[in-house]
Parts: sequence; C-alpha cells; structure tokens
Amino acid sequence: MAKEKNIKMDVQHLNLWYDTKQALKDVSMPILENKVTAIIGPSGCGKSTLIRCLNRMNDIIDKCRVKGSVMMDGRDIYGKNADVVELRKKVGMVFQKPNPFPKTIYENIAYAPRIHGIRNKKTLDAIVEKCLRDAVLWDEVHDRLDTSAMGLSGGQQQRLCIARALSIEPEVILMDEPCSALDPIATAKIEDLIRVLVKKYTVAIVTHNMQQAARVSDYTAYMYLGKMIEYGKTKQIFERPQEELTENYITGRFG
Amino acid sequence: MGRLAEEMLQKSVEALREQDMDLAEWVISHKTKIAKMDYNIEKKALHLLTLYQPMASDMREIACILKMITYLARIGRYAKDIANITLEFKDQPHVKKLVSVPYMSQIVCGMIDDALKAFETGDLSTIKDFSERDDDVDELRYSIFRECLTYMMEDQKVITRCTHYILVARYLERCADHACKMAEKIHYMVLGEHIEIDSSTTKRKR
Repeated sequence: MAKEKNIKMDVQHLNLWYDTKQALKDVSMPILENKVTAIIGPSGCGKSTLIRCLNRMNDIIDKCRVKGSVMMDGRDIYGKNADVVELRKKVGMVFQKPNPFPKTIYENIAYAPRIHGIRNKKTLDAIVEKCLRDAVLWDEVHDRLDTSAMGLSGGQQQRLCIARALSIEPEVILMDEPCSALDPIATAKIEDLIRVLVKKYTVAIVTHNMQQAARVSDYTAYMYLGKMIEYGKTKQIFERPQEELTENYITGRFG
Repeated sequence: MGRLAEEMLQKSVEALREQDMDLAEWVISHKTKIAKMDYNIEKKALHLLTLYQPMASDMREIACILKMITYLARIGRYAKDIANITLEFKDQPHVKKLVSVPYMSQIVCGMIDDALKAFETGDLSTIKDFSERDDDVDELRYSIFRECLTYMMEDQKVITRCTHYILVARYLERCADHACKMAEKIHYMVLGEHIEIDSSTTKRKR
C-alpha cells in the first residue's frame, strides 16, 4: 500500500497584488509533510512572493493585497481570527543572505525562546545545543558560544540562521535561495542538512538553481509570470515534464 | 552510425548469398570505422553530460544515444562475423540456394531501419510491431536450425557449411534483439516511459 502523504500546508487559489500589479495568479499547490518541496522559475515569476505568503511575511509590505487561502492544520492562515505570531512560530524562514543577529552565537539561538517566555538557563542551554546539533554546527562552535556570530564564515552563519529558525520548534521551514551567497562546499553542507532536517520538519525551498532543486527536493513546482505551471514529483518534473513551458525552462531553451 | 551498421549487415548477408568476396572484404574493412564512431559519439555525449547537465528530453536523448551506439556497434560486429564466414565459403558452393537467411536479414534490416526512423523523427509508429517481427526472426532461426540438422544428418560433407548457416542465423537473431532494445530506448526518449519488447508482448515496466 502506498504510504499516506499528509498535506502540511495547502495553498488554494492564492492571488496577490503589490498595489495594482498582480504577482500571484490563482496559485494552488500542496506542501507535503516531511518532504522537501522546491519552487523554481525565472526571476520575477513569483516564487519568493509565494513562499513569503506561507508565513505572511508579505503582511509587512505596503499596499500588498491577498485573496485566496492557505490551509494549515485545518485552518486558513489568512482567516479572520488567524494568529500571525503563532503562525510565524510554526513556520520559520531562512533567507538568501545569512543574517545572524550581531550578538553571540548563544544569544542568536536563545533570543526567540526567551521572547516566548523561556527563562530557565538550563533549558535554554539545552535548546541551544539541540538546535546547533540539528543544524550540524555544534561540533564547530560548541567551544565558542560566547563569541560573536559575525566571526563565522558565510556557510556557518547560514547554518546558524537555520539553527535559529529551529529554536522555537517550527513545523515548517521555508528557505528563500539559502545557498545563493555560499560557495560550493558550504552549499553542499546545507543541501545535506536539508535532507536530514526533512525527517523531522517540512521544508519548502525557493531556488533558481535547477540542479539543486533536482538534488534536494522530493516535489517541485514550476512557476512562470505569477502562475503555477506544473507541480509534481521532482523525478517526473526533471525527467519528463508534462507542460511545454516547464520543459523549455528546464532544458534552458528560454531565458 | 546507424545507417552504416544497417548497411554492413545487409551487405554481409548479400555477400554470403552471392559468395561475393569483394563485398565481404568491404564489410570487414568498415569494422574500424564503426568502432571509431562508437568511441567518438560516446565521448561527445559524456562531454555534454559533464558540461551542460541536460534535463528532461535532452537527458533522455543522451541516455538513448549512449545505449544505441553500443547496440549498433554490436550489429556492425556481427556483420563483420558474417562477412568472415563468407570468406570461408571461398572454395565451396552453398549447400542449396539461400532463401531463409536472406529473408531473415530483410526483416532484421527493416527493424534497424525503422528504429533509426523513429529515432530521427520521434514517430513511434514504425516500431509498434517489433515484438511480432522479433517473433518471426526467432521462428526463422529455429527453422534454419532444423533444416540444417536434417542436411547434416543426411550428408557429412555439408556439416561445416551448415554449422556456418546456423551461426549466421544466430547472429541475425541477436541483431533483431538489439533492434528491439534500441526501440525500447527510443520509446523512453520520446515518451519518458520504460517498456519491454519481449516475445509477443510489449510490457510497460514499473
């Protein structure tokens, strides 16, 4: 029997406007639990916009209007009584350019749990260690937790940002081109990390690197000009895409 | 390379039937050329894989090509083997007029030709009936085998020649198998689907 795949987040007929410009046009797709879903497409296709909808980061953008719904655990995150703070606790985000706080390594990770009410030092210590271990960074930094995070290399800073995202026990981790600013070795480490993280978390990653999407993801969605053109198992999308637009993009025949 | 392999096979059987030594030499002399094509095409395909990381239809085409050159090289090799057998018949006539072997060759060369057509045009209709044609080739091989056994039991003097005929039939049957394998890869290249062409049924591979 095929294993039941759970839908962790379900994007349903999502439309988004930046002022009068429509950036997302009737986008629907599932984000499956404990799977890596990659979103690919040319610049300006709406992939970053889409992923920022999943934790309502677009709320902070002026004149941004959303229509449609994103279901999570049976509730619409854009619903009337939706708790955005709670949402951002469950759905964490890692950005393109590593952006650790200008604080110590320890503080970077302890910051969020502390804000959410955890004060006990022993508990915070345990959280810091766990997150750094999960982000495969503990061995490299455990003896200098009190040093500034800014002294880490680019790859290490990005893993710190991932550890930071893990500190409040999210269920979903969003990544917006997490390796764009990193060298190939750091990139490979992050990609390995993603495959490890997905055993415990659900991951959605935006990337303009098709080989990365092919290596790292279980499911891939191709977007073009604000529309969802094709969604499917990564192997199928890269081996035999159904849509001509998808095929053209993947084989590099345009752009 | 495909056209050369087909030509070598067709000419090798023609040379055998007509006992044309010059034609047989022609086939043998082209063995190096086809081996070189195998090497060069493989090199180019691997080069493309390395530098361009082809995806989707491009990837499937390269995958198909890498397999096809192997099958075509083998067909060229069998053609050379048949041509060598022709040279063995330099001083002897055929046991009887060759009918089944040329007919087998006609079917096999037709299969190779249709596979190449499908590869060039992406039109899979030319390879639709490969399992039936492969069956016919298998039947012919078997009947040639039985016919030769009969002759060999009747008259010891024909044993060497009949053994050669049995080998030629076997080589032609292998060439038909290779044509079927090519058709499977071409099907994958066009549709992204794995199939198996095997004894009267074309099964979809899971």
